[in-house]
Amino acid sequence: MLTPDKFKVIGYTEEEANSICRPTISYWQDAWRRLRKNPVAMASLIILGLLVIMVIIGPNLRGYDYIAMNIPDKNQGASAKYWFGTDNMGRDLFSRIWVGARASLAIALVATMLKLVVGTLYGAAMAHFGGWVDDLLMRIIEVINSLPSLLVTILIMMVLGNNLFAMLVALSITAWCNTARQVRGMIKQLKESEYVYAAEVLGASPMRIILKHYVPNMISILILDASVAIPQFIFTEAGLSFLGIGLKTPAISLGVLISLGQQTMDFYPSQLFYPCVVLCVIVMAFNLLGDGLRNALDPRLRQ
Amino acid sequence: MGRYIVRRFLEMLLTLFLIATATFFLLEAVPGDPLSQRADKLPVQSREVMYKRYGLDKPVMERYLITMKNMAKGDFGESFVYAGQTVGGLIHDRLPVSARLGIQQMLLGVTVGLLLGILAAIKRGTIADYTVVAFSVLLISIPHLIFGLMLQKIFAGNLRWFPTIGWPSGDELWFGGWKYTVLPTLTGCFSYIATYARLLKTSMLDVVNQDYVLTAESKGLSRGRIIRKHILRNSFIPVMTQLPMSVAMCITGSFFIESIFAIPGIGQYYVTAVNNQDLSIVLGETVLLALLYIVVLFITDLLYVVVDPRISMPGRKK
Repeated sequence: MLTPDKFKVIGYTEEEANSICRPTISYWQDAWRRLRKNPVAMASLIILGLLVIMVIIGPNLRGYDYIAMNIPDKNQGASAKYWFGTDNMGRDLFSRIWVGARASLAIALVATMLKLVVGTLYGAAMAHFGGWVDDLLMRIIEVINSLPSLLVTILIMMVLGNNLFAMLVALSITAWCNTARQVRGMIKQLKESEYVYAAEVLGASPMRIILKHYVPNMISILILDASVAIPQFIFTEAGLSFLGIGLKTPAISLGVLISLGQQTMDFYPSQLFYPCVVLCVIVMAFNLLGDGLRNALDPRLRQ
Repeated sequence: MGRYIVRRFLEMLLTLFLIATATFFLLEAVPGDPLSQRADKLPVQSREVMYKRYGLDKPVMERYLITMKNMAKGDFGESFVYAGQTVGGLIHDRLPVSARLGIQQMLLGVTVGLLLGILAAIKRGTIADYTVVAFSVLLISIPHLIFGLMLQKIFAGNLRWFPTIGWPSGDELWFGGWKYTVLPTLTGCFSYIATYARLLKTSMLDVVNQDYVLTAESKGLSRGRIIRKHILRNSFIPVMTQLPMSVAMCITGSFFIESIFAIPGIGQYYVTAVNNQDLSIVLGETVLLALLYIVVLFITDLLYVVVDPRISMPGRKK
């Protein structure tokens, strides 16, 4: 006959049973761990870091002014004196490229911020108010999307003129629609989900629900959105400047440098080559990092 | 079906009206007026005649009404810069050029892309797969602009295999003059290749794990037959959702490519008109391009239902 007094507890206490022996890993720690295991994404991250450093210190590295002309040294190829050669006015291309890349990166980053902020607020408003407000706001997005976005961008540039502010407005004016749609979908889905309902029933304050449930879910969407948007913006900016609709000399960006390089490409191909390479490296690093982030952040893609 | 088409059609008209209105007032905000450059040096009388000729002597709202009325009649306006040039005429001359460029790019790009996608999915985990993946990442990361310039420099500039710029015209507008079209077509098709190869590969790998594929295998069907009849057919749905966007984009012209290779297409003229501040042309072209874009999306939406019976009409109530 087995009775409870025949059993003895050995080496077991109440605290031990409830203790968690492995450290809890938050969503972000987990994402970072996954990202670190991905060599391609880490390489892109390092390259991007180097690029940012170069963009900050690059123009001063060689001690040449990026505007001052030096006619005797014009149209030189790469040499120990001028690492990337000089342009048709004898200006050091190495310094000019980093100043241009600085402008391109800054434009892309600010435009992305604008897109995310406007898109999130708009999407949140759509999801929060619902009803006719939602319908009306959605209709506005549909109208904007029924034009090829490049056309809208060009139109805005035409109205506002060729300056930095116009560029930012023109780039972000169509881009936020996509963010708004995603945020709207996400919030609508979250509002209906059981765990948000459970949190409400348990008496969580709206602030806690927003911070604990809405924000973490949305941040991963927004990060992915940004990682797609940044290379897109850099490319569009370069394209517009190339067509003569974006920034114009004396302002320089990678697009301006490429269009200047094209004019002399038959005789001095290096003036076209170096800005193109820098542009490609930036865009590729962002794209590859974006792929890595998608794998790390999106739970549905995990195996 | 009928009711859905009518509703979509009315929505399309409303959207077009909104676009035309928004564009009109946006262009009103452009500083200066398109005639002042030419008319400022003329005597007052001739200047007045000129402003009258283009209708710029009337207040904004009146001009808006006139423009809208003309558009409804199919008259999209006349150039401020080149006398006698109308938007209708421009579209007639330049649309075929852009359309041919777009269609060639799409045909080549989508075909090659889909083939590469199938290859990567079937040979998953082999060298072929990794090559295709690396290739498509590389292609996506190199902007059109740089590709175009690179091809132009190497194959036209250094090797002299193809002409640097230009486009066939006259009898060869739609067919012939291939040596002019090779480089622009190649430039544009790479992004299609990359997009479609990635898309089809992902979607095929999804389908491979489905139960009906296992069933087909256990029935002893040959591998080729399973791929053709079961996997490919079902994995084409994402491709079908992507295609209308590509078709719509390809007709509206490839701004950068047309500019690099000096191709007299719609995109290039649009850029010229913007740089010349030729407001009437910009307005007319914007509305017409929007019209094209919307109509193509509309038609492909309808074609869906024909292609895939599983997609039900959005308007139909169950």
